[in-house]
Amino acid sequence: MANKNSKTVTRRDFLKTSALAGCGAIVATHFDFARDLIARVEAGELTQAEAYELLKAENTLYSVCLNCNTGCGIKVKILDGVAVKIDGNPYNPFCLHPHLEMKETPANAVKVDAGLCPKGQAGHQGAYDPYRVTKVLKRVGKRGENKWQSIPFSQAIEEIVSGGKLFANVPGEEGRQVTGLKDLHALTDSKAFEEMGKDAAALRKKKPEERQTAIEEFKTKHAANLGVLIDPDHPDFGPKNNQFVYFWGRKKAGRSNFAAAFTGSFGTNNTHGHTTVCQGSLYFACKAMSEQYEGNSFKGGQKFYWQADQENSDYILFVGANLFDGNYGPTNRTMRMTQRMVDGQLKMTVLDPRFTKLASKAQRWVPVLPGTDAAFAMGMTRWILENKKFDAKFLACCKKAAATAIKELTWSNGPWLVKLDKEGKPGKFLRAQEIGLKAAEKRTDKDGKEFDFEYLVAIKDGKPLAFDPNDDKEAITGELFVDTVLKDAEGKEVKVKSSLQLMLETAKEKTIAEYATLCGADAATIEAVAKEFTSHGKKACVDVHRGPAQHTNGFYNIASFMNLNLLIGNFDWKGGMIAASTFNVDGTSSSSDKQPFNFKKIGPKGLKPFGTSIIRHDIKYEESTLFKGKESYPAKRNWWPISSDVYEEILPSIADGYPYQAKVVFSYMGAPTYSLPAGHTQIKALLDLDKLPLYIASDIVIGPTSMYADYIIPDLHYLERWEFQGSHPNMPVRIQPVRQPVIASPNEVVTVFGQEQPISYETFWLALAEKLGFKGFGTNGFGEGQDFTRPDDFYIRMVANIALDRKEPVADASQEEIDLFLKSRRHLPKNVFDAERWQKIAGTAWPKVVTVLNRGGRFDSQGATYKGDQVANKYGKQINLYQEKTAGCKDAFTGKSYYGLARYVPVADTLGNEPTKLSEGFPLHLITQRDIRHTKARTITHPYLTDLMPENGIILHTSDAKKLGVKTGDQVKVLSATNPEAVWDLGNGNTKPMIGKVQVTETIRPGVVTFTLGHGHWDSGAVDVTIDGKLVKGDKKRAGGVHANAAMWVDPHLKNTCMIDKVGGSVSFYDTKVKLVKV
Amino acid sequence: MQNEDILVVMQKDLERALAKPEKNRRWAMLIDLRKCVGCHACTVGCVSENKLPPKMYYRPVHEYEQGKYPKVSRTFLPRPCMQCDKPPCVAACPVKGKEGATWKETTGLGAGVVMINYEQCIGCGACVPACPYDARTMDEGHFHGEGTPAIQKYETMASYEYGKQWPRSGKNLPVGTARKCHFCVHRLAAGQLPTCITTCIGRAGYFGDENDPQSLIAQVKKANKIQVLKPAKKTAPRVYYVATEKLEVLYGK
Repeated sequence: MANKNSKTVTRRDFLKTSALAGCGAIVATHFDFARDLIARVEAGELTQAEAYELLKAENTLYSVCLNCNTGCGIKVKILDGVAVKIDGNPYNPFCLHPHLEMKETPANAVKVDAGLCPKGQAGHQGAYDPYRVTKVLKRVGKRGENKWQSIPFSQAIEEIVSGGKLFANVPGEEGRQVTGLKDLHALTDSKAFEEMGKDAAALRKKKPEERQTAIEEFKTKHAANLGVLIDPDHPDFGPKNNQFVYFWGRKKAGRSNFAAAFTGSFGTNNTHGHTTVCQGSLYFACKAMSEQYEGNSFKGGQKFYWQADQENSDYILFVGANLFDGNYGPTNRTMRMTQRMVDGQLKMTVLDPRFTKLASKAQRWVPVLPGTDAAFAMGMTRWILENKKFDAKFLACCKKAAATAIKELTWSNGPWLVKLDKEGKPGKFLRAQEIGLKAAEKRTDKDGKEFDFEYLVAIKDGKPLAFDPNDDKEAITGELFVDTVLKDAEGKEVKVKSSLQLMLETAKEKTIAEYATLCGADAATIEAVAKEFTSHGKKACVDVHRGPAQHTNGFYNIASFMNLNLLIGNFDWKGGMIAASTFNVDGTSSSSDKQPFNFKKIGPKGLKPFGTSIIRHDIKYEESTLFKGKESYPAKRNWWPISSDVYEEILPSIADGYPYQAKVVFSYMGAPTYSLPAGHTQIKALLDLDKLPLYIASDIVIGPTSMYADYIIPDLHYLERWEFQGSHPNMPVRIQPVRQPVIASPNEVVTVFGQEQPISYETFWLALAEKLGFKGFGTNGFGEGQDFTRPDDFYIRMVANIALDRKEPVADASQEEIDLFLKSRRHLPKNVFDAERWQKIAGTAWPKVVTVLNRGGRFDSQGATYKGDQVANKYGKQINLYQEKTAGCKDAFTGKSYYGLARYVPVADTLGNEPTKLSEGFPLHLITQRDIRHTKARTITHPYLTDLMPENGIILHTSDAKKLGVKTGDQVKVLSATNPEAVWDLGNGNTKPMIGKVQVTETIRPGVVTFTLGHGHWDSGAVDVTIDGKLVKGDKKRAGGVHANAAMWVDPHLKNTCMIDKVGGSVSFYDTKVKLVKV
Repeated sequence: MQNEDILVVMQKDLERALAKPEKNRRWAMLIDLRKCVGCHACTVGCVSENKLPPKMYYRPVHEYEQGKYPKVSRTFLPRPCMQCDKPPCVAACPVKGKEGATWKETTGLGAGVVMINYEQCIGCGACVPACPYDARTMDEGHFHGEGTPAIQKYETMASYEYGKQWPRSGKNLPVGTARKCHFCVHRLAAGQLPTCITTCIGRAGYFGDENDPQSLIAQVKKANKIQVLKPAKKTAPRVYYVATEKLEVLYGK
């Protein structure tokens, strides 16, 4: 130990003699901290809060994080108007378990800081990023050249609405005429919308050969309005209004409603989310499973999914679910699991090619081959069915009444009979009238509308039995495994099998050993996992996430795992599979008649947009006017009858002008160029001025996609704005977290509808509406004396709705709480927070609004979350094992019907070819992963995170590193058949190589290579840009690491898009084979 | 399900401890590595709370990988200051005496914590290599916003270490001094748990008065086999670990 015996010196002595510390600028002061201060606290001379400013309730505001989609509750500590520290919100069940009840006062709650992941804690660094865009930027160079000029907001609005030669100052664009929104708002009459929409929809029902005549009839009938159509020869494309395309990345309730108020008034049907880059096939497989039998067909499927009730499960099989780094989300799921793991109450198996943090805590890790997940699931299915380890009682229920009789809240279609065609291929469910068992009926719905009802059929005691699945009176069960022939009314034979029988036969397409070979596991493991999974009653789950979803076979991977949950009937059970539940925001809750603001009745009245969307969702190719018959296969691009929000389709479809040309594109908080596989293809689409004449982006920085925009409209950081985060499927508590302004925005303050406000996403919509003269916006927009001129006009009303949803509204805030409410917002400017204005908006609901805002949302109590052994916030409906609707759709490339049941399908391109050729010479399987410290495109601006993780790496197994002759720290480039140069083509001659540092590990399956997402930026302050003629130097730290998405395969048929799951929409993230070359 | 989050339980433990005569208290920290998922929430929470400059971590989380595929294991090891009862860093400091630069506190609320008086620290750096745990770092005065167009206000505003405000700019203290974890003694004074404990998403961290048998930390300590880091150094740490791994193997003797 150095200096142990050295002479005592003082700071002053040292500074006098030290050459390093400079002259004695330090004034020696009496040492008065620690001991003295603490003594004063103990002597009661200081209050606790005086000692520590961060502990004052008046310096604390609760809101919601958005550094990943989980949206945990945050407790923001604000000094001098500056957010200085962010912790978890103890009222929010995403941060504390169990969370504080709403009745706890904020004065008390302030003592409790709840947990929060590092990204959430670093959140204020995103708000205080010196590279924030605070004024409208218009490009003065080529797209993507990073030359900008700041322009007045009003000028931007004028130019975007009116169009013209907007870029005459840019060399090469002198004469380029740009169409503005005004000209795309072509059809404006709501009646015409309705009539043309109805007739255009009717065209879909025509046979291809009848369609031409029908189109001519349409043209005759609507002769006066043909000019507003995109293409009169294809009325099904809809009006020119559809040529305004709006897409977004991360958006939740509130902002969604706000945008819809505008796009509804504008009349475009091109409003698309980003779901398929995340886990689209998980959403759409569950949507297919949740389609309900209404009348005579399946409708109303929910775009959602289920996850495990991890705080009560005894066993969870996690598949491609990276819980402790990503998922929904580390903060809430981890705190619900760790103690139970340690106590042996929760056992886990993890299927993942990587030995994830989650796997490191599990009893069993199965490193399956990427893209073969369904083989494992089908092996399990076969074992469970053959060994009769399923819940036969649950599966026998044909309908609601039967389920209720055995205290089940959900039921499947396991015993229902499916008709087979001549080849034995399953099609639709048998209807009772088809075998003369029970006639179809005319019924009336709750609105008095008549509809056709057809009974379904199961076999009971060897005889067919008709039933209505939604009937809650007569408990009908059916035989599980049926393979028989019935006679129709005319005595003709009808081959039928039950859904479960079809499942059994599908599972038996391969032996368990064959399935094991396919997925790189062994049969004993599959059997052991199946046995374990079926040994815990209802308290076992298969919890899946991105891993199995983001493949070309994602839909069937997900369905095959979700069906395992059906086999044990664990839905809505404590410890089983659960769904999210929220408090309603738009005033249309069926559980309350007290909500004050029904947004269906107040504000802008939307038009009824019609026509094929630019991504061709919710429509069958065969029903479009582009389909002439069998010769029309393969389609140029895919059609998406059961999926939507297909992110990878938007820009490439525009680039292809398929099915029509887009004129104006607006993107919000989206970075498809960075986030999507083969993101360079998205850049190429953005650079095409002919196909994409005007592109406007809303962003807080010059981001990886917004840098290609013609205009960037500055948005508010999430600490400066409103939104309603909603919930996630693993959260059993009913909640509605409220994101609200907690700090002022640095953005330019502009005037819209006569009201001063910082430029924002909302301001942009409002200003466009003002310019276009839309009704329902502006003064008296929400009715006489009720203006819609600012964001808070919209959102305070929604907070009131949240407060008054359900039977019991929240309590009124006390005067003390109202005082605190005001005091804690003392730093906010009037153009953001105005107590008088807010109170007027809320009306009598004001004290309840204060209660909600003082807690960062509304959260039901933990005690109200379960009823006995089941969840209180139930799904409570039918769940499809066999999917009739899916089976009724065809592949737009091959013309073959989709299979209606989960099965193992190999990875393939759009034409159905397995990627053997693309793989030749590329031995490593590329996957990606999240690290908890980063979220794809947006956390590179946060130094707390980048200091801790300045760069990522190319992670591979020791044996692969050996073969390549590389070791940790060596640099390699990532090549694939569709990116042999290993570069990002950023346009304008700029490239960024895909070179990363090797990280060698034993914690990955040999042959698989991965990298964490979030690094390798060419944007967001990582590079130099010119604004108003001045150079803004980039921060090189932000360019650290590698982003290898551009190595991911481009589909050989589409040529300008990554590989896709044709059914569920997901992009292929984990299918590409690459080669690493030492640099 | 538990009735209360352990953060609330420990908050109550803390309030009870603060009401006790100081002589009877013994602050201690326990980290259950079985519950640590390597999320770094504690690390970043600490950086934010104490306004730590780039690359200074009072509480890094070390990661270890053992075994050969497919029989592998991963361990995450948060490493705060051990607040040793026999602190080698204190012995190494040349600024001795009652008004010294660093000492093992024996009285008051911070009793048990190894304190640094920034105003007395001469910045010689002798304590840094003396610590067997690398718990001390010299503050070289850097900012996270360096290399960008402007340093932002949140970085220059005061931290509250040792119950005093330390605005960060130029050569203001603690720039030039040695810094380390102090169990967030300023938060303890205010009746709050250390920030590494409250930020923990795995609830792997325990803090409190181990002399209080009712306290959660005392109960967890009693119920489990306890390890300390580098026991051979005989530093008598106040930070205990529960782990299935032998920490001597991972972290050294």
